[in-house]
Amino acid sequence: MTRSTLLSIALFQAALLAVGFLVSGNNYYMLLLTQVALFAAFVAAWNIIGGLTGQLDLASSAYMALGGIVTSLLWMRLGLPPVVGVWVGGAVAAGLAVLIGIPTFRFGVREVWYALMTASLVVILNNLFRYFMGPWDFYLPNKWGWLYLRPRTYFELFIIVDVVLLAVILVNIYISGSKIGYYLRNIKEDELVSEAVGVDTRLYKLIALAIYSFITGAAGFLQVVIYSSFSYRLFDAGLAISIAIMGIIGGLGSISGAIAAAVVFRALGEYLRSTLGGVIPGLDLLLYGVALIVVGILKPEGLAGLFNQLRRWWRK
Amino acid sequence: MSVGGLLVAVLQQVIDGVFLGLFYAIVASGLALIFGVMDIINFAHGDLVMISAYFVWLISTYLNIDPLLSMLLVLPVLFVLGLAIQKGLINPVLGKEPLIQIAVTVGLGFVLQNIALGYFKAEPRGYPNPVFSEGLSIGPFVIYESKLLSAAVSVLVLFLLDQFLSRTRLGLAMRAVTDDRSSAMLMGINVERVYLLTFAIGMVLVGVASGLWMEMGQVWPYLGTSFSLVSWVAVALAGLGSIRGLAVSAVIIGIAESMGSLISPSVKMAVVYLIFFFILWFKPRGFFAKR
Repeated sequence: MTRSTLLSIALFQAALLAVGFLVSGNNYYMLLLTQVALFAAFVAAWNIIGGLTGQLDLASSAYMALGGIVTSLLWMRLGLPPVVGVWVGGAVAAGLAVLIGIPTFRFGVREVWYALMTASLVVILNNLFRYFMGPWDFYLPNKWGWLYLRPRTYFELFIIVDVVLLAVILVNIYISGSKIGYYLRNIKEDELVSEAVGVDTRLYKLIALAIYSFITGAAGFLQVVIYSSFSYRLFDAGLAISIAIMGIIGGLGSISGAIAAAVVFRALGEYLRSTLGGVIPGLDLLLYGVALIVVGILKPEGLAGLFNQLRRWWRK
Repeated sequence: MSVGGLLVAVLQQVIDGVFLGLFYAIVASGLALIFGVMDIINFAHGDLVMISAYFVWLISTYLNIDPLLSMLLVLPVLFVLGLAIQKGLINPVLGKEPLIQIAVTVGLGFVLQNIALGYFKAEPRGYPNPVFSEGLSIGPFVIYESKLLSAAVSVLVLFLLDQFLSRTRLGLAMRAVTDDRSSAMLMGINVERVYLLTFAIGMVLVGVASGLWMEMGQVWPYLGTSFSLVSWVAVALAGLGSIRGLAVSAVIIGIAESMGSLISPSVKMAVVYLIFFFILWFKPRGFFAKR
């Protein structure tokens, strides 16, 4: 890890914590900040499969919901505290991902077909959950405390989410600089070539998928904590697409770009929804759409490309 | 339920599934044509059907005419819209990475959905005075006139499309580009022009699909998402290059969805997508591919 990377992480953390302290008196802003940070963590996890490996995975809400619901059910039905449960939740999500990933990568499903397959996974799980568990909202028990990853104040919850976000960023940086990271980027550049030079593309895609789905599944419980409840609607195809969109707008493979996109667009989106949502519904999502078109046509390197340009301009 | 009653219920679902499938065939035909000829991954396809359905609804309620008649008025609009989208959004990303194409078309889909949400609001809209709303009873089965009419139009349009692709110069040029782009270019086919017209014709098929849908049902802003997915499933099942194969695949999907709703309406899409998984794993080129 270079010094400039360390510095940017430290600055980002300092800024995030400073905002956290500033708004800690206001529960609404605190919750909003927590939600934005958690969303950024999901986007950062997606970056491993989408940004680094170049697989357009549209199932992140499936892993999030599955992990979150498994953790919640273990707590509610078996009394397993979520501090332990989240690891099981993450493992279940990763297990399902790998189970589907093995035949998917074995039979060479890629590009648009991979995207569609993962998008339909969200719908399948949504339908199955609704069929077997019913259309109801399930509420978390009335217990609070660190043992349940459900602290009494929003500020403490924000700290937990912030630690998760930091951890996901560090995992990203670690993978990116490791041997696996080089293989993953190789696969993203040209899968056939990397296969030809002897990279076990299936294995490395599976590893990326497993890491991403484990993190997403484990962090999924925090989303349940924010809502205090869960239902089949947690398997949300639109959310999965939004998460992938942030990764693309951020500039594929750039963790700072992905985080910046997640923070800026989610915060702006929530702001637009709270101020103009009654007058013009969907304005926040319209903005995502326009941003995607602009990035796709004019600037495929995304926000990361913009950052680099600014940096060059600064040094001149 | 007795065995006979169950049999009637199942057969009724099969009938409804065939009608649904013929509608899906029209939706998927536009996507298959565009994907086959231009190799562009269009995630906004269903949303284009949705927007077009709002056009049909507007004309139908304003002039108080049947959706199938409004559809005829909408088709030229969509042709022009198709030219514009092709020039403005699709051409710049032709030949780019799939991810970029998906990003731009997902963006277009989001824009269309939220324009519809902002302008028409979330509640479903349907034509209030349909002419063909009666149900015909044939033995124990019920067949709605609207579905029968839509199915007839759908079969007619698919037949015309098939004839167009096999008998006209432009149709042959499209198929040539589908088979081998560079050879087609060397044989003197103006590929740019073929692309432009392909997208516009694909949009006309979108218009037909929207008219058929408004004849049978209602439109709301998120209607398109499931159409997009189902069309891709149909294309995966059929493979590229055969309109008849696409129609058969779409009917299979329609029947599967219909049978799924017999188990429970909440699992019908799960049934369709599970089929999708197995096709992608074991038959990734589809069952009717010409190449």
